[in-house]
Amino acid sequence: MIDIGIADLRVRHAGAADALADVTLFIPAGQVCAVLGASGAGKSTLLRAIAGLVAPNAGRILYDGAPASRAQRRRIGLIPQDFALSGRASVARNVMAVADIGIARSLAGLYPPADRERAAHLLAGFGLDETQLTRRADSLSGGQQQRVAVARALLHRPAIIVADEPIASLDPATGEATLALLRDEARNLDATLLCSLHQPALARRFADRIIMLDAGRVIFDGTPAMLDGNRAVPRIRAVGR
Amino acid sequence: MNAALPWRFPSLLNARAIALLAAALLTLWYTGQRVEIGRMLALSGEAVLAQAGMADRSQVADGLGSTLAQLVPIQLSSRREVSRIEGFDPDRLPPFARVETIETRITELNPETLRREERMVRTAWLVEPFGYAFHVAAKMLETLEIALWGSVIAVLIGLPLALFGARNVTPHPALRAGSRAASAFLRAIPELIAALFLVIAFGFGPIAGVLALGLHSAGFLGKFYADDIEDADARPQQALAAMGGGRLTIWGNAILPQVLPQHIACTLYTFDRNVRMGSVIGLVGAGGIGQELKGRFDMYEYGHVGTILIAIFLVILTLDLVASRARQAWR
Repeated sequence: MIDIGIADLRVRHAGAADALADVTLFIPAGQVCAVLGASGAGKSTLLRAIAGLVAPNAGRILYDGAPASRAQRRRIGLIPQDFALSGRASVARNVMAVADIGIARSLAGLYPPADRERAAHLLAGFGLDETQLTRRADSLSGGQQQRVAVARALLHRPAIIVADEPIASLDPATGEATLALLRDEARNLDATLLCSLHQPALARRFADRIIMLDAGRVIFDGTPAMLDGNRAVPRIRAVGR
Repeated sequence: MNAALPWRFPSLLNARAIALLAAALLTLWYTGQRVEIGRMLALSGEAVLAQAGMADRSQVADGLGSTLAQLVPIQLSSRREVSRIEGFDPDRLPPFARVETIETRITELNPETLRREERMVRTAWLVEPFGYAFHVAAKMLETLEIALWGSVIAVLIGLPLALFGARNVTPHPALRAGSRAASAFLRAIPELIAALFLVIAFGFGPIAGVLALGLHSAGFLGKFYADDIEDADARPQQALAAMGGGRLTIWGNAILPQVLPQHIACTLYTFDRNVRMGSVIGLVGAGGIGQELKGRFDMYEYGHVGTILIAIFLVILTLDLVASRARQAWR
């Protein structure tokens, strides 16, 4: 259980306008949060900053009130937008990449039974089967790769799941099923789920809280019900439709 | 016109590119004078014209031609005088071998009569039709063994050097600098020079060869492996780093799978190079086919030299085929 605090966060990519400006958020442990916004609104940057992949130009990101420790980093499950799988490696190696074992065991593929069981459970839940364990990750379809990335992020029972458009490559039905599984896993693990999405309707149904970004700033932060009542702000309607 | 085409696309025809080109040409012209490129072209051209019958003589064609002509016929058989073979048993000859007896008429001074006398001397020779070919094959095998172990040592030293020398894996920038310097140092000492010193330390034979090849190519692998590791796609590495993966975890799961084909290609090239260099370092006594080559060359036995050169060529050709198969399998 880790609370995330974000204070006055500002991120600027070289030679561009602020990707994030004055973002202040408190995300209590166990919350399911959807991050909405048009392309370029700063969703990925926010999630990457929370995962420690982007260094802020100003402001702070605190885990339980302090900068993230190595032990806390080990409790993050990251699903990057481009999956970031090791393409030449097998599905098994990708999913087991963060298993907490020595390098020799990892290289030899001698994974602990508990990890094998967990990986099999996750992959089966995502509709993959045992024959796919030995396949190269880059030989899978985009949707399959995305689900492998999700399984990799969940293997080590993370306390924070950061998912950058985790269902972008999936058809609507599979996408919804995957999102449901992701949320159920988060609930089972008591984990915080931060998930950027392009589908406001899905976000309304799945999330406890919706954070909406526009041009790097938070323009809405509340429950789905609040979003429905908030029709006065045209920009939100434009983003959230 | 410019209003209709407001975008300026980059072109190679700019002042900087032209200045660079001019500087490159000037350097080539100046250095070309110093290394006699003009004379090389003139002599080579003369040789080509002489071959085509359009010039009378060519110093290059004559010199090269007379030496090359002596390489054939290549020497395959071996002849040894039976009386010089220890424990020779005429009933148990090596395969394909035969004994030839040759009668030679020799003139001797008889010490009692003090007169020159002619008499017949019979000498028996053991002739093995492929004796020298087998001998060269055995020496070639020794060279391959030296190259194999040189390459094993190169991988064993090169991989840790690369792990310390690659920016994205090294525990500390100072270690990276140290490791890169160590790789450069190992690369800077040519095998032949290393072998000279190692022969003094370890004596004639394969140990000096193995170490000379191993240390030099460890410097190469340390650099090539490290460059491959640094060039690997950063995204999988970032993903694992964000999830708290350690350096070795990231290397094993996000980098190694990506760079393995390059690593294998580099290692195969190193082995290939070690076979070729293994043929050379024998010249200073570090074992293998080179030692044989040097001996025969110094004795002007160019037929033997021809056999050795063909053997080296065949081995390199075979290695090339095997290596390209291996690279395809790992693509």
